[in-house]
Amino acid sequence: MKKKDFYNELIEFLELDPVDLDENTEFTSIEGYDSMAVMSLIAFCDEKFGTKINAQQIQKLTTVGSLMDFLGREKFEN
Amino acid sequence: MSTLHNKTIVITGASSGIGRQIAIDSASQGAATILVARNKSRLEETRQMLVTGNHFVCPFDVTDFGNIDGLINEVYEKAGSISGFVHCAGLESTIPFRNMKAEIYENLFKINVIAAFEFARIISKKKYMNPDGGSFVFLGSVMSRFGREGKVGYCASKGALTSSIKAMSLELSSRKIRCNVILPGVVQTEMINKMFESIPESSVKQITDQHPLGLGMPEDIANMAVFLLSDKSRWITGSELVIDGGYSAQ
Repeated sequence: MKKKDFYNELIEFLELDPVDLDENTEFTSIEGYDSMAVMSLIAFCDEKFGTKINAQQIQKLTTVGSLMDFLGREKFEN
Repeated sequence: MSTLHNKTIVITGASSGIGRQIAIDSASQGAATILVARNKSRLEETRQMLVTGNHFVCPFDVTDFGNIDGLINEVYEKAGSISGFVHCAGLESTIPFRNMKAEIYENLFKINVIAAFEFARIISKKKYMNPDGGSFVFLGSVMSRFGREGKVGYCASKGALTSSIKAMSLELSSRKIRCNVILPGVVQTEMINKMFESIPESSVKQITDQHPLGLGMPEDIANMAVFLLSDKSRWITGSELVIDGGYSAQ
């Protein structure tokens, strides 16, 4: 998956306000990123990547890039 | 005197949690138990926990609706007429409404609602049911009365199950079958532990704090289930019994 498509899917799934994401973006800095967004992120990993992740693990993934590391870098291309 | 002596009880979801505890407590009260769930080895574990008796392990997917009659017929051949049914098989889901999909609702309703109805309908047939009647116990949830983020599908499924009980109890009263639903608060089971992993720690603390008597244990629910299965509750039907450590008292 292209990184740009990943960012767009993430924004759409979490229903975040349009924002320019990159690997360095910290989740907590995104407007509208709240506890419901955390639940959505868990559902996103499961539905889009078949990857189970729990709330404790999610909290350790502070940036978009760290989420991509968790999901597996081989799944992304520029 | 054991309160479930000479009673054969079918229990779905008997491989873990509340279902397993109900099997243990029913057996200790003299029941023959029919243990139903998908995982055979976990059902065998449950059977190992039961006092000696006429217990049967039945690996079965409760959403295999077309084969429930065959399963119950097999149970009848082995164990004789049935006096009780407990539907503990259940699916929990914590997904924000905005991310829900039709297939997630379908899965929730298949396991939490339709499987309960189909097992009850088939077991209630004259050819399977004890002529003296019996008791059906369904596991609902206080979530059928209260809301929580991420629970639209789960609340809806438990609400559907709960709202069916009065009609079912009226239809089956002529056969002396009583139907009741238990509405537990949060009980410490594997399913709930898994749910707790999918929500922020702050939410786990909030849920725990909302139970004035703390989170429940499977035996807290099993005690009521055994009572409802027994003749001691012979005048109780169509009821919703809340057991929630005070969650709904607030």
